[in-house]
Parts: sequence; structure tokens; C-alpha cells
Amino acid sequence: MRKFLRRLVSDYKEYLLLIILSIISLSILAQNEKPAAKHLKSIALGNFAVLNEITSSFVSILKSDGSRDNLRSENAHLMLELNRLQKYRAENEELRSMIASKDTSVYPLIPAKIISKLITKSQGNFVVNKGSDYEIKKGMPVINDKGLVGLIMDVTENYSVVQNLYNSNLSIAVTLQRTNVDGILNYDGNNLIIKDIPTTYDVQIGDIVETSNFSSLFPPSIPVGKVLKKESNILGLLHTLTVMPFADISAANNLFIIKIIPSKQINQLEMNLIK
Amino acid sequence: MNIQYLKPILFFIPLAVVQLVIVPLISISNIAPNLVFVLIAYFTLRHGQIYGTILGFILGFLLDIISGGLIGAFMFSFTVSSFVVGYFYGENKIDINLSTYFLLFILFICGSINSFLFAVVSSSNSNLSLFFMMLEEGILPGLYTALFGLPIVIFHPKEGI
Repeated sequence: MRKFLRRLVSDYKEYLLLIILSIISLSILAQNEKPAAKHLKSIALGNFAVLNEITSSFVSILKSDGSRDNLRSENAHLMLELNRLQKYRAENEELRSMIASKDTSVYPLIPAKIISKLITKSQGNFVVNKGSDYEIKKGMPVINDKGLVGLIMDVTENYSVVQNLYNSNLSIAVTLQRTNVDGILNYDGNNLIIKDIPTTYDVQIGDIVETSNFSSLFPPSIPVGKVLKKESNILGLLHTLTVMPFADISAANNLFIIKIIPSKQINQLEMNLIK
Repeated sequence: MNIQYLKPILFFIPLAVVQLVIVPLISISNIAPNLVFVLIAYFTLRHGQIYGTILGFILGFLLDIISGGLIGAFMFSFTVSSFVVGYFYGENKIDINLSTYFLLFILFICGSINSFLFAVVSSSNSNLSLFFMMLEEGILPGLYTALFGLPIVIFHPKEGI
């Protein structure tokens, strides 16, 4: 028996090795949310990001202009302000007073620079050069001067991981600014889409999409993009909307982190609803 | 750790920086080459299947923890794809594999497998069709990765052929 096993191992050692290593990889993949895995990742990310930052600053040496960064920051503030004003124009008095209490333009913005990107077709991640030292926390929204870019997913002392809109794992509650039609924005690998919008709802090409009041991840009224295309399903009952983001995610370089964390009370209420 | 594994790890460090900082600048519609995989394939074709599988596992783990992605995703995809690269290994075929355009074919096939497996294990979006994943997350990145085998084909000494 022992001889047989020994022969088996020696004849199929490549396959056995593959199976063992694959099982280890997949079990580690399942343990990603464990504190030990997060700790390991934050140590490695924090140390290696130093190298990335040096390379990144070398690459963007021509772009490192302080005054331009300030202008970008001001632009981002103005973008949020403009969007708020557009909303005021579109909504009735009652909604306006409700939204005034959730003004996104008053949140402080923390400027950050992308130092590395993980580019895959459906797993967009950035590493930015600001971390918990700047009071950045997991769950803070990330924007640029055009609109929403993503969400902080991991934070180390000096660096943070941003899950961007081109990540199929990120779902965002959004609303159409003109008509207040709500939906869930997802990335399907090619486009940002909002699925299952009844065809009876008033949706027009060019409608502005922004974060919804119902979002527990993002504060309301952050501009996301505009409706590029609407397609009906076979029965003609539901629309799938294709959204063109305002922010050029692939070319993004300078970002702003909105210093806000999702309301614990809303999260708690949502958890109670699930229970 | 075996000294044999130190060399690729030393090459890995600058290559990982390039992968995370420079490669995004040359990505086309979020389709990017994987230079770390080219490194793994190169060493697998030089040292064999078992060596390559272990190297894929180690470098996959390292890339996972420094890229901010899911730990285990590159680990799994590199392990399996470098195992497949190992099938092209032969003690007498090292120079042929590395000095001819056949290397590009190997990189294309195995790079496609690598990108596809990475997409499968790291994406939680069930709306993605298998065809889409095979084409846009497998074949196209595989094709782009294969292009980066050209410097190896051009500069690898062709004495043995």
C-alpha cells in the first residue's frame, strides 16, 4: 500500500501539487475579510506603495503643479455646488428643503493622488497616497473634479485602496436628477448600467444620474454620469439604462475623498430590516 | 527558500511596480498586459512545470497583497496558468521555446487562461456572460500579454537552435 502511494505520488506529483496549491489559493480567497488577511494586506500594501509612489511621481513629474491641484480642488467643490443648484431648480419646494439638510458640498475634501492601478476588465482598483493619517476611513466616497469615482475599500496608515466605478463588485443606489427615478448602478464589464427601470417611467437620454438618498454608501446628490442609451427588454416592460460616467475613470489621476462616513444608524436600520 | 526562486522574486519587484504604475497608462479599454505572468512563463519554460507552478503560487500571492486586490485571485490564476505553461517545457526545447515566435503562442494561450481564471474568481457579478469573460477578460488580455514576449524572442540568444 505504502509502495503504491509512493508510486502514485511520484507519478502524479505535478497534479497533486497543482491541486494542493489551488485549494490553498481558493481557501485564502474565501478568507479575505478575516482580520489577519486584512492586516497582512495593509502591511504589504503600505510598504510596497512607497515604491509605487516614487515611480508614480517620477512618471508624473511634469504634472506635479501645486496651483493646478488647488484649482482641481476648487473645481471639485464647484462641481458639487453646481449639481446641488441644478437639483434645486428641478425639484419642488418640499424636496428642496429636505435635501438642504444633506448638502454634499459642505463636506471637507481630502485631495489624493493615484499611485498605482490594478487594471483588469471588471476589477478596477486604485491605490491613493492618503491613508488613516488623514482620517480617511473605509466607506468614504471618492470623487474627482467631474463626478463620482469610487469608494474607499481599505485603509493603511499612508495609503488607501479605492474600488472604482469600473468594478463589477460595486453596486450604487442612484437616482435620475430630473424625475427622481431610483435604480441600482452596476458595471457589467463594458458599461455602467441601471437595470429594471419600468418603461412607464419618464427617462430621457441625457438625464443626469446622481447618488440617491437611499444609498447607505454615498451621500446624496453626487453626480455620477448621464444616461447614454436606454434599451427595452423582450417584453418591453423594463428598461436597461447605459450610463456614461462624468469622471474619466481610466485617466483619473487626482482624486478627492469626501470626509464622510455612512450613517451607522441607517446601517443599523437596514440590518434590522434584513433580520 | 530555494535559491532558484530568489532570482524571479528579485525580477518581480521592479516588474510589479511597472505593472501597477506604468501598465495602466498603456491599457486599452481596461485591457492590460500582465508582465508578471510573462516573467513566470519565462522561468517556467526554463526550469519546468513543478518549479513554474510553485513560482506562480508565490508571485501570485505577492502580487495579490501589494496590488490591493483580493488575496488568492492572482495566486490561483498564476498557479494554474503556469502549470499549463509547464506542458510546453522540455529540457531540449528551452531555446526553441524562448527564442522563437512560439513563445508568443504560449504566452497568448496561457495568458488568456490566466486572465480568464482571474476574472472568474475575482468577479462577483453573475451578469457577466461566459462569452464576454472569455473574449474580453481572457483572449484580449492574453493577446496583449503575448506582445510583451517579443523582447524575449528578440534578445534571447539563439545559439542552441
